[in-house]
Order: sequence, then C-alpha cells, then structure tokens
Amino acid sequence: MTEHQSSLQTPARRSPGKTSAWHRSSLARALFSLALVLMLGVIFPAEGAFFRLGTHQGALRQASVVGILACGLLPVILAGGIDLSVGSVLGLSAVVAAKLSIHAGEPAWLSVLLVLGMGAACGAASGSVVAFARVQPFVATLAMMVFARGLAKTTSGGTKVATAVPGPDGVLRYVEVPPLFRALDAQVLDGSVATVTLVFLAIAAIVGFLCARHRLGRYLYAVGGNEEAARLSGVPVRATKILAYVISGLCAAAAGICQAAQEQQGDPEAGVTYELTAIAMVVIGGTSLKGGRGGMGLTLLGVLTIGYLDKILSINAVPEASRLMLTGAIVIVAAVAQKNS
Amino acid sequence: MSRMLRLTRRSFTLGLLVLACACKGESKGSGPAEEGGKKGRFVIGMSQCNLGEPWRVQMNADIAAAAKEHPEIEVIFKDAQNDTLKQRAHVEELASAKVDVLLVSPKEAQPLTEPIGKAFDAGIPVIVLDRAVLGERFTTFIGADNKKIGRAAGEWVKKVLGGKGKVVELKGLMTSTPGQDRSAGFREAIAGSEIAIVFEADMKWLEPEARKEMDSALARLPKIDLVYAHNDPGAHGAYLAARAAGREKEMKFVGIDALPHEGVSYVAQGILDATFQYPTGGREAVETALRIRKGEKVPKTITLGSRRFTKDDVQKGGEIIE
Repeated sequence: MTEHQSSLQTPARRSPGKTSAWHRSSLARALFSLALVLMLGVIFPAEGAFFRLGTHQGALRQASVVGILACGLLPVILAGGIDLSVGSVLGLSAVVAAKLSIHAGEPAWLSVLLVLGMGAACGAASGSVVAFARVQPFVATLAMMVFARGLAKTTSGGTKVATAVPGPDGVLRYVEVPPLFRALDAQVLDGSVATVTLVFLAIAAIVGFLCARHRLGRYLYAVGGNEEAARLSGVPVRATKILAYVISGLCAAAAGICQAAQEQQGDPEAGVTYELTAIAMVVIGGTSLKGGRGGMGLTLLGVLTIGYLDKILSINAVPEASRLMLTGAIVIVAAVAQKNS
Repeated sequence: MSRMLRLTRRSFTLGLLVLACACKGESKGSGPAEEGGKKGRFVIGMSQCNLGEPWRVQMNADIAAAAKEHPEIEVIFKDAQNDTLKQRAHVEELASAKVDVLLVSPKEAQPLTEPIGKAFDAGIPVIVLDRAVLGERFTTFIGADNKKIGRAAGEWVKKVLGGKGKVVELKGLMTSTPGQDRSAGFREAIAGSEIAIVFEADMKWLEPEARKEMDSALARLPKIDLVYAHNDPGAHGAYLAARAAGREKEMKFVGIDALPHEGVSYVAQGILDATFQYPTGGREAVETALRIRKGEKVPKTITLGSRRFTKDDVQKGGEIIE
C-alpha cells in the first residue's frame, strides 16, 4: 500500500500503526464486556437453563431484529451522524409488510421489494435533509421518527394488522399466515438456528463488507473523521451521507419484516425505543458516536453483549425494576471499559 | 442577511402551522356549539386520553357505532395523545362549546378532577369512563372491575385444570393499577388450590416482550400447564413462543381484554383457550347519555359486566360472567 492510498483510506486518523493498535485494544475491550455478561450467565444459570442450546438459539433470535437495526446504524454513525428513526421505520415496515402479504395476499418477493423500497425512501429523505438542508442529524431523524410512526398508525388504522381481516360489512374473516412470515419465523438447518438470525448475519456480512472493503466504507470513515478534509480530498460528502441513511432505512425495513413475521401481524407500535437499544449495541462495541472509528466486528460483539444480558436477566426472572437498574449499571461498565481508547 | 432572516421566519411560521395542524387531534367538529340542543340535535363531546392503544380505539368505535343508531346524535371526538394538559384543554373546549353531554376517559385522576368538576358545575352532565376522578363532581362513572375479571379468570383456570397445575403468569406493567388488579384477583381465586405460579414476569403489555419472557419460561420449566397473560397480545406472544419450541399442545393459553379483532379472533382461530372481556363501556356511555337527556336518574357508578369467550361459545358471543 502506497503512502497516498493509506492517507485516503484513513484521512483523519492517526498513523496506520496506531490505528490498528487502537482497533486491537477496542476489540479486546468489547470482548471483555461480552465475557463479563456471559460470566453472569455462568454464575446465575437459572437451574441450568443457561447451558441449554435452546437458550442460546433464543438469545440470538431475540437479538436479531435489533441487531439488524444496529447494522444499519453503523454506517450512519461512522459518517458522524445518528438515525433515531429506525424504530419507527421498523414499525411502519411491519405494518406495510403485514398489509401487503396478509391482507392483500401479495407474493413474498413483491412485498419484500416494496417494503425495502419504502425503507430506502425514508432513509433517503432523512439523508437528503441532513446533506442538503444541513439540518442536524439528530433533528432530521427525530422528525422522521415522529412522521413514520404517524404514518404507521394511519396506514394500519390504529390497530394491529393481523390474520383477522375485517370485511366491508365489518365481519372478521380469517386468513392463513402467509408463507413469507412462516419461513422467516422458522428454525432452519435441522432446527439449529432461526431464519431471522441468518437474515441478520447476512445483512451484517454485506454492511460489514461495504464498510471495511468497499470504497463507500473509506468515504464513510473519511466523512466521519473530518468532513472538511474529506471534501477537500474529493470525497462526495453529500452522496456518502445520503447513502449511509439509505442503508439504515433498508435495514430498518428488513427488521420490520422480520418483526412482523415473528409476531404474525403488523403492529403500528412495534419498535418503540428499539433505536436506543440499537445505538447502545453499536456504541458498546466500541464505535465512536463522534464518527470515523469502529466497525462491524465490534458492532456484532455489542449486539451479543446486550442480547445475552437481556436473555440472562430474563431466564432468571429478575423483576422489571431490578432489570432496568442492572442493565443501566452494566451498560455503564461496558462504556467505561470502552473509554480512553 | 435580512433575506436569510426572512427565510428563517417564514419557515418558522410554516413549522408552526404544521404543528398546529398536527396537534389539533380532532376528527369532527366545525362549530357544533351554536346549534347544540337546537333542532332536536344532541351533541356528545368525547375526550379520549390516548388513541395509541387498540382498546381505546375500540372504545371510540363502540361510541361511534352506538351513536349511529340514533340519527339525532352528533359526537365530537378529541384525542389528547396521552398528554394530561392537552386533555384538560379538550375538556374545557368541549365545556365552553356547551355540548349536551360530556364523556371523558381521563388519563389520570388528580389533574383532570378540577376541569371536569367545572364543566359539571356549569350544568353539563359528565360521564367519566374507565378511570375515575376524585370527589363527586360528575354525573356518573362507567367502568369495569379488573380485580373481578382477574378472579373470574382464576376461577375458570381452577376448573379446567382440576385444581392442580403449574401456571406461568405474564404480567402487564406491575406499576399500573390494571396489572396489579388482574394479578391480585387471579391469585385470590386460585388461593388454597394446588395451582402454583411457577414463573412470573412483566411483559409491559407488549407482545414481543411476552414472547421473550415465555421463551425463558420454556427454557427453565420442563412442564407448563397454563399461561395466564394480563392481555391478549401477551397470551398470543406466549403461544408463538411455545409453538416455536413445539410445546403449544402441552399447555393452555388465557388472556384478558377480548377485543373483537384480537382476543376473540385468537379464540376463534384456536390460538387461545379463553379470553375475558374488559368492556370499553362505549355503548353504555351513549345509552346513559340518552337516559340523561330524557331526564331519567342514573346511578353514580355503573360497573360493567364481563364476558368469557372460549372455543365452545365464541360463535354465540361468549358467556356472561356471574
């Protein structure tokens, strides 16, 4: 790698040697947090439930939907932005996916394509507001968060879109759960892993490739590291930002389809506060909210850490109040461990 | 610079306009005040605290359906979007518009007692729905009894399990009164029998949470006889978890609320074994309003009856409890 290439790849970071050292230490810290949480499970195994395979399959399945949101948030956060709308876009996507595949009986590929298109449009809208109108990402995506939630409620008529379909005369008619939903909610590979977990891993692989190996990834790091320097080095800053939000919107839409499949209905209230969990997953992994630093490997560790914490508290039937306090405390420990890197 | 300022001001005004439209939150109501009471028309104002919950959407739908049967009735709906102060303003607006009867389903008692009392003092009959206010300054309160419904669920569970078995309880928010009452009533009914609650967790009234907690219960317990969830989405989430584990045949599922498109549908589809209705009182509110109009005396408190829906009676509209 020539001097020139390396400076383009990491325009606003320290020298390559230091960067990889930073990355190694960050990885070690993320692993430390995960180990801490897993140790909690070993100490409190809930009558051996922690050592059963089903518990781990369950933990992975439950972390998948929010994990997909975290994958989408990664490019946005790397580019120095934030996307608060992912939970609402998830809810909207769940409603539209249910409307299309349960009520309208559309084929799976068409439903998926339309919902993904809608998610991408939501992302492109927030991205354009951020890139062209120069509105703070926090404000722009907050607006999208409120708007998408409202749209979800309007589309669904305020109720859940389920397999009981009201006819024109008000009488309910029952339809089958569509094959798309059944397939996504199934356990595959001899029942060893849930389909949604595979979807999550596939999305993580694609976004991870884009961030680490593709030109777009270099642009994301550059914009997040130092926007002005990136612009001067010829990085298309606006396009990069918009693309980051489009990826986030696409992921939120995919998560919405997975959520609807697991609930067998489209709930307009689905995904409330999921954005905060997803952001916590990205940050606990060690990706900096200031942008320019982090990666998919770290994010996956963050997803596992929060997912397992949730599961371990649940199998031990810890009361809600203590659960909130414990989660807060452990997130702080993990965040402090990530600090000073 | 001044152009910039002008632009900012314009966009600010635009934003305010948009906000104003968004915050209006009413579905009907172009000046009913002037004509209220005249020409035989009968205007009912309905202040709903929040339309984010399906149960409250159903309440409004019940009111609208009951009102439709009487062509002289006009209903003005207001949705406070879970904001106490907004609801206070709605109550005051409806009172100053001199509606013939005011229906209020308050978000909380203390802050809404005074505005409701003022409307009542001004001579407007006030019907309070679901959640009570303090004192006596209203015409009548219509609501259901969560504890009684919880007890009915417990009695039924005791009967179908033969007085013996392991039960998972998926609770609504235990900091909320409905959650506490639905739990207390159930436990009262099964006390003294050999039914044991072997796993309990807060699912915050949310289906995905219920599925998560049920996953944990399934991982821990080799045998579960019945799942009692404080609402129907919770019971549905538990069913999906059990089915994913291939254990849905092993246990029964019981929920509460019995909304037509939720619990009752689940029972009809064979997903839940029973659901217990938590009535909205929407229809009763309109009927009571008409009685008030005729000058009849109405009781201060009307406690709504509940229905139980099981596979055997769901087609004929459930069974009345007690």
